Amino acid sequence: MDTGDNRTENRPPIESNDYLWDRSGEPDPEIQHLEALLERFRHDSPTPAFPEIVPERQWAFFPWRRRLFPALATAAVGIAAIVAVTLLVYRTKPTPSTLAGWNVSGVRGTLRIGQKTIGGKEGTSRLVIGQMLETDSQSRASLQADDTGKIEVDPGTRLRLLSMGSGLKRIALDRGTIHTYIWAPPGQFVVDTPSAVTVDLGCAYTLQVDDSGAGMVRTSLGWVGFKLNGHESFIPAGAACATRPKVGPGTPYFEDASAEFRSALARFDFEDTASRQRARDVVIVLSETRKRDALTLWHLLTRVDDQQRVLVYDRLSQLVPPPAAATKEEILRLDQPMLDLWWNELGFDDISVWRHWERSWAGTATPVREK
Amino acid sequence: MGTSDDATWVAAARDGDRTAFGWLYERYARMVHGVLLAKVPVGDVDDLVQDVFIRALRRLSTLRETASFGAWLATIARNVAHDYRRGLVPEEPLPDDASDQEIQCRTSGGDQDCPSAAILEAVMSLSETYRETLILRLVEGMTGPEIAARTGMTHGSVRVNLHRGMEQLRAKLNAGPSRVRPEQEKS
Repeated sequence: MDTGDNRTENRPPIESNDYLWDRSGEPDPEIQHLEALLERFRHDSPTPAFPEIVPERQWAFFPWRRRLFPALATAAVGIAAIVAVTLLVYRTKPTPSTLAGWNVSGVRGTLRIGQKTIGGKEGTSRLVIGQMLETDSQSRASLQADDTGKIEVDPGTRLRLLSMGSGLKRIALDRGTIHTYIWAPPGQFVVDTPSAVTVDLGCAYTLQVDDSGAGMVRTSLGWVGFKLNGHESFIPAGAACATRPKVGPGTPYFEDASAEFRSALARFDFEDTASRQRARDVVIVLSETRKRDALTLWHLLTRVDDQQRVLVYDRLSQLVPPPAAATKEEILRLDQPMLDLWWNELGFDDISVWRHWERSWAGTATPVREK
Repeated sequence: MGTSDDATWVAAARDGDRTAFGWLYERYARMVHGVLLAKVPVGDVDDLVQDVFIRALRRLSTLRETASFGAWLATIARNVAHDYRRGLVPEEPLPDDASDQEIQCRTSGGDQDCPSAAILEAVMSLSETYRETLILRLVEGMTGPEIAARTGMTHGSVRVNLHRGMEQLRAKLNAGPSRVRPEQEKS
């Protein structure tokens, strides 16, 4: 088998002189033709007149009114003083709308936030730290936090808001389905499930958890990290990954892989089969692998036994040659920096984002259990 | 100009400087247009571009990572497109001066008289990830590094999306207009 001499086979050009990438080098007539034809759909509208931007601090007291209406200003100051004294004396708890949390809107049907039942006619509600949101079999809702993202909650879902700090925003999905669109920096939005921790790495994804605690993540944009007790999976756009309680994340795969590939992988990940059956499943996976399934093989490197690892290494080398800096021996003994270098060769996102998250949030990869 | 410039302009826009927001519009309008064009009918894109920037304007004070303005704006654009598809953004009738030819071209698929519409249709039949990046490159005329800088995606992701998307587009176009249909990706 080829172990990596032809290092550029089947890979997009990654150096300069790539017209598609940055118009450098020899122009590609086909791409130029497409550009010329599609240019008519290009944005060409002039800058519109936007409404006035009113910075928040201008909403403070208007001084001109105080000059024009001194009595009004005096009364307002008096009221403010009374309110301040009242707050100091009674230490009133903050209302939910002032607490860190997610706005809940677009409610269809009836759902529950904490002990309160919410219907669609009640406008925007608030989910704050410590509260649980539960939809019934008919209801759904949208959660939004301006500095974090948006979550669509499907029927039959129960989730809890665990934290909303400036560095880490965390919810627990006990069961059901959520669709997330996250714009917080990678690594800041984390979802606990009963069988894995899901870490947003700059993406949109759908996460499902069934009543047994088994989960499935499907990434539509960017990538997601799935982790439990040191067992980690990275799921780029177009890929999926299952998790099981007590097992953790399975091996990620592209959903357009063959049925034989997916079945063998599911048996390998989650069925308690004899070692001979597991070896057969690995062989099936290797025989059904296409170039993009390098994603799956990279993960399998750390999950198979020593004998199978050589087979996986050889097949992965054919699909995506290992980095020049990594030797076969280093990979076979699972040298993490070398494995990371190979991951970066696969053409997904840079794994250093994940390693940074691990360093920053070590110890958070154990799901927070329901109290 | 990089993200540090964005942070400066975002800070100025937050302070009420409409010139600064106009600069951000000039810099990001093509990206927003491309993101929307990958998801909604071409006739509605211009209106939605404005909707995206209005939303951004209203929420600008909530953006903590000002250097991530591009990624934040791209996500707002994807949300606006998502809302549009769910019917939350009301569809307005096309203006009277809308080009009949353009509308016909948009709907004619493989019509030989409208090759640009047929190619756009072929692009739209690709998976969403490749579609968005290819539209930013081929329609909006942005380079790969520009796409990465504006959307917050990594160079690696953009490069892969461009090359894989282009491979798929070539396959569809070579298959002929009558076979330009959505289909599963095969590597």
